[in-house]
Amino acid sequence: KEQRKENHKSVAGGMKNTAALILLFLFSQVVLKIIKHYQEEGQGSEVVQGVLLGLVVDDRLEITNCFPFPQHTEDDADFDEVQYQMEMMRSLRHVNIDHLHVGWYQSTYYGSFVSRALLDSQFSYQHAIEESVVLIYDPIKTAQGSLSLKAYRLTPKLMEICKEKDFTPEGLKKANIGFEHMFEEVPIVIKNSHLINVLLWELEDKSTVADKHELLNLSSSNHLEKSLQLLMDRVDDMSQDIVKYNTYSRNLSKQQQQKHQYLQRRQQENAQRQSRGEPPLPEEDINKMFKPPQPPPRMDTLLIAGQINNYCQNVKEFTSQNLGKLFMAEALQGHN
Amino acid sequence: MSRFFATGSDSESEESSSADEITPKAPGTTFKQSLLLSDDEEDTKRVVRSAKDKRFEELTNLIKTIRNAMKIRDMAKCLEEFEQLCRAFLKSKNIVDKEGVPPFYIRLLADLEDYLNQLWEDKEGKKKMNKNNAKALSTLRQKIRKYNRDYETEIAAYKENPQESADEEEEKEPEDSGASSESEAEDGDEGVSAKAFLKKKPEAAPEASKFLKSAKGSGDESTSSDEDDDEDWGSDTVDSGSESSDEGEGKSASLAVVFLKKTHDADKSSEKKLGKKKKPKKKERLEEEAEEEGGEEVEGGWEKVKGGVPLVKEKPKMFAKGTEINTAVVVKKLNEILQARGKKGTDRAAQIELLHALAAIAAENNLGQGILVKIKFNIIASLYDYNPNLAAFMKADMWKKCLDCIDELLDILFENNNIFIGENIAEDSENLGVSDQPFRVRGCVLTLVERMDEEFTKIMQNTDPHSQEYVDNLKDEGRVCGIIDRLLTYLENKGSTEEICRVYLRRIMHTYYKFDYKAHRRSLGLQGESKSEQDQEESEGEDSAVIMDRLCKFIYAKDRTDRIRTCAILCHIYHHALHSRWYQARDLMLMSHLQDNIQHADPPVQILYNRTMVQLGICAFRQGMIKDAHNALLDIQSSGRAKELLGQGLLMRNMQERNAEQEKIEKRRQVPFHMHINLELLECVYLVSAMLLEIPYMAAHEFDARRRMISKQFHHQLRVGERQPLLGPPESMREHVVAASKAMKMGDWRTCHSFIINEKMNSKVWDLFPETQRVREMLVRKIQEESLRTYLFTYSSVYDSISMETLSEMFELEIPTVHSIISKMIINEELMASLDQPTQTVVMHRTEPTSLQNMALQLAEKLGSLVENNERVFDLKQGVYGGYFNRDQKGGYQQKQSYQRDQKGSYQQKQQGYQRGGYRNQNQGNY
Repeated sequence: KEQRKENHKSVAGGMKNTAALILLFLFSQVVLKIIKHYQEEGQGSEVVQGVLLGLVVDDRLEITNCFPFPQHTEDDADFDEVQYQMEMMRSLRHVNIDHLHVGWYQSTYYGSFVSRALLDSQFSYQHAIEESVVLIYDPIKTAQGSLSLKAYRLTPKLMEICKEKDFTPEGLKKANIGFEHMFEEVPIVIKNSHLINVLLWELEDKSTVADKHELLNLSSSNHLEKSLQLLMDRVDDMSQDIVKYNTYSRNLSKQQQQKHQYLQRRQQENAQRQSRGEPPLPEEDINKMFKPPQPPPRMDTLLIAGQINNYCQNVKEFTSQNLGKLFMAEALQGHN
Repeated sequence: MSRFFATGSDSESEESSSADEITPKAPGTTFKQSLLLSDDEEDTKRVVRSAKDKRFEELTNLIKTIRNAMKIRDMAKCLEEFEQLCRAFLKSKNIVDKEGVPPFYIRLLADLEDYLNQLWEDKEGKKKMNKNNAKALSTLRQKIRKYNRDYETEIAAYKENPQESADEEEEKEPEDSGASSESEAEDGDEGVSAKAFLKKKPEAAPEASKFLKSAKGSGDESTSSDEDDDEDWGSDTVDSGSESSDEGEGKSASLAVVFLKKTHDADKSSEKKLGKKKKPKKKERLEEEAEEEGGEEVEGGWEKVKGGVPLVKEKPKMFAKGTEINTAVVVKKLNEILQARGKKGTDRAAQIELLHALAAIAAENNLGQGILVKIKFNIIASLYDYNPNLAAFMKADMWKKCLDCIDELLDILFENNNIFIGENIAEDSENLGVSDQPFRVRGCVLTLVERMDEEFTKIMQNTDPHSQEYVDNLKDEGRVCGIIDRLLTYLENKGSTEEICRVYLRRIMHTYYKFDYKAHRRSLGLQGESKSEQDQEESEGEDSAVIMDRLCKFIYAKDRTDRIRTCAILCHIYHHALHSRWYQARDLMLMSHLQDNIQHADPPVQILYNRTMVQLGICAFRQGMIKDAHNALLDIQSSGRAKELLGQGLLMRNMQERNAEQEKIEKRRQVPFHMHINLELLECVYLVSAMLLEIPYMAAHEFDARRRMISKQFHHQLRVGERQPLLGPPESMREHVVAASKAMKMGDWRTCHSFIINEKMNSKVWDLFPETQRVREMLVRKIQEESLRTYLFTYSSVYDSISMETLSEMFELEIPTVHSIISKMIINEELMASLDQPTQTVVMHRTEPTSLQNMALQLAEKLGSLVENNERVFDLKQGVYGGYFNRDQKGGYQQKQSYQRDQKGSYQQKQQGYQRGGYRNQNQGNY
């Protein structure tokens, strides 16, 4: 991390006001690399991750290259990831490629990425390199015909909270943060070099009509089922969390009541004693007597809420697309 | 000591029979007292003597060990024993005070001191000794020096004349070992008492007094002697009679019985000898005592009495020949005998004998039935008393005797209408003698018979059910029933309603579990009539159903204690169920509301309730009411403790959880084997009904994530079946059912049928039903129907339409049946289809929700609960004001669980649950 920080400072020394990234330029080669990485190493619900390299230009972040984290198994536990990254970056630098660490990417399974792990690592990235982003690649949607890449950053509010590590209900309340304000999405523009554009034009002319029309695929239930299943799991978690919180708050209020009663009694007693001219009872440590129950950390709940929101968005998007397709199909049938 | 009383009585009774001048003993005093106070001087002297003997023997024994230890130079042992000796000597101080210090004791002291001194001088030897021994030697030496200071004169005397003292002791020793020789010698000079008393009395008196005072079982005397007796006993059995007898006396009564057998013969022979010798000499008082003893104190002499049958015959002469035997005397005698009842040392067997004898005398002298009844009562009571332990059961001969006695008692009661018996007749208002007035006797036949019944149960519980013995014992059941019947007729005339209720319940208890084959045959159309004379005879008499009905109704009307009525109802239901009168049984069960509060009843009633429920379930099964059968059996079968719940055995795994005491109690609750309900039959019935319910249900709810199990146990069996790595042909009943279930899942009723009904299953289960054939037919039909349902559930998605004719062929059901089944499914919304009448086909609608839809439903449900939870949090903050979520709707979520709860609830509730509609209906209604 130290290393990264230094790197960052040395290179992006002039850009102190990068807190608000407006745009993210993504080079197509990065996209292809990510897709390739997933196709080679990730399957099912397994997740692949990698490092994004690039540089900050004005208020936009240009991601020009990337490299994957190696899939490491249990046996080579002594594998040093940081070392590997440093090596990689050094090597890339040698071939004159942008070698500045500006974030990381991760694949996702049906849009389930809002997790504690992601939060923690993104926090450490953003803490070290202010403008770093996390790029979420959804291979399943991509396979259906529409490339799905999203760039997220933690909001400054969330950064504050994470810095303080105060996940108690009060802390979150004070910060006034909801699941909507946890992440901010950064718009992505995919940029090609002119040479590539030229090549594409040429290819378009040469190639016949694409054989595959995944985009028009009508069978939707599988995807929906999966999403629903995941959504249901999260809802269950949420339920549990709420029950936990409920118990906590009930205990808390009960204890408050007891405390209150105790204080009142003590006050009365003291008043009596005073009237009799005796010294008042010594004040005891009330907090010792009534230890408040351990408040449940609310961050997880927040994350789950965020995840549920994410799923819902996904399903919504998916269904609206599908509805459109269905209408199209109907119209086609009517036409025939 | 017991043995000695026994001998005493034997020999004495011999005497008394030959003696002419017997004075009736003074009435009023208790036996023990008279025994104790009979002769003061003699008594005291005897006490001293006996104690002395015992003490001295103890001492000599110790001395022997010391001498042995001396010989092998084991100083440690020597020291130990010497300390013991000192203690023992101190204990017998009062005897020593009287008798003077025994010479053998002095001798030992002197010898020991000499010996120690000698060892002490022998420096080299001392060096060789190990540390322990050396230490012991020095301590012992100091001790003995100090100790001997007290006995200086005696020791000096001994040292002067060692020979004499030694002789004395040697004299003493043969005395100990040769009982008979000694006794003969003493016989001569004792004049007063026969030799038997010499040994017997001295011991008896203190012992008896001890028992009387009910001081802790054994005083120090007996305990101290017990200690070494116990060690010595095994090897010393060969010892002479007197020694062993000494030891025997020290024992508590039970021990005495044990050891009795060993010394029995020796004793007997010596006793016989003694008896002969005594004859010429006797005193009146002595005889009287002897007689009393004979009457009372034949403790533990049980074996003895049995052995000497001829003697026993002569014994019952309890009254002096000359006495006029009248009621008063007999009553008095009876009271005397009874006073000993329940006391610790009383020989119960002998008491019974005595009472018998008394009864015989009473009968001989025509004292009237009153007294006879009274005596009979007591005989039976003491027969029951014979076993001090509640858990122990009567021995066969006792049992027979008991039955005979009760029979006789009932005979008398029947013959003599003028005898009034009752528990509440006071002892002094009894009228036993005056025959022109009605006799009034205290006692309760009912209690006796009830106790008899319990004893019978106990006997059956304690007999190995697979032995011939059990069958033999079971034969007595008829007699027990007979007695109860007779009592019933007797009480119907004379008893109060409560008593009638009680005896009715007894009768019911002996009737309810028996299948009435006569009635069964009769209901089948009197085929049995032509068979034989005997059959015809058998088929006469009331149906048990009629009897049950009469008795139970009487109890329902008259009984005031809840328990008897509850039992009667349960038995009645059981009986109905056993005879396949399902509706009567069910109605009675529902009307009685027993299910609501049976958990408050005592365990035996609960066991009866469980038995009844099981029988009810089996009955429902026979009638083809699978759901009812399943529901009735669910509670018992789901716990996995059916055996325990039915009182048919204890579960091993509970061993740690309960202690021995609880186990005993539980054992006592067990139902005798002949009343058992076959557990395999029970389980099979349950599993088959579960299969018939569960398989179609599973097929219908294949995609339903929230589907519940109807029967956990059945699922468990299925899972066990699935876990099998290699599936062979089914062996056990369970495997058969599992295999059948699998076949049924595929809608393959033929295979299912062949698994459920085949030779193996017939012999294991189905043949146990009285109407086997009918049950099997019912079962086949059920299998066909449920297979059809399962088939439709499973494969409806494959068909667009299906002809009912095909279905009827496939399942070998008539078209109307198929039609009705399908209609029912359509009405219950289990099958989304409609019937096309003209073509006789079922047209599928294909409106089954897709898995996605199912999923969405589930999600909706989950969200519902989430909102509910969330609302609770909200409530806490805002205070309860209903929130925005409608309470009624909330109820709807809970209702969904109602199916499960229904099952757990009482039987009645379950029924309603089922009648409300199919499972599916209930579940779907709430979405």
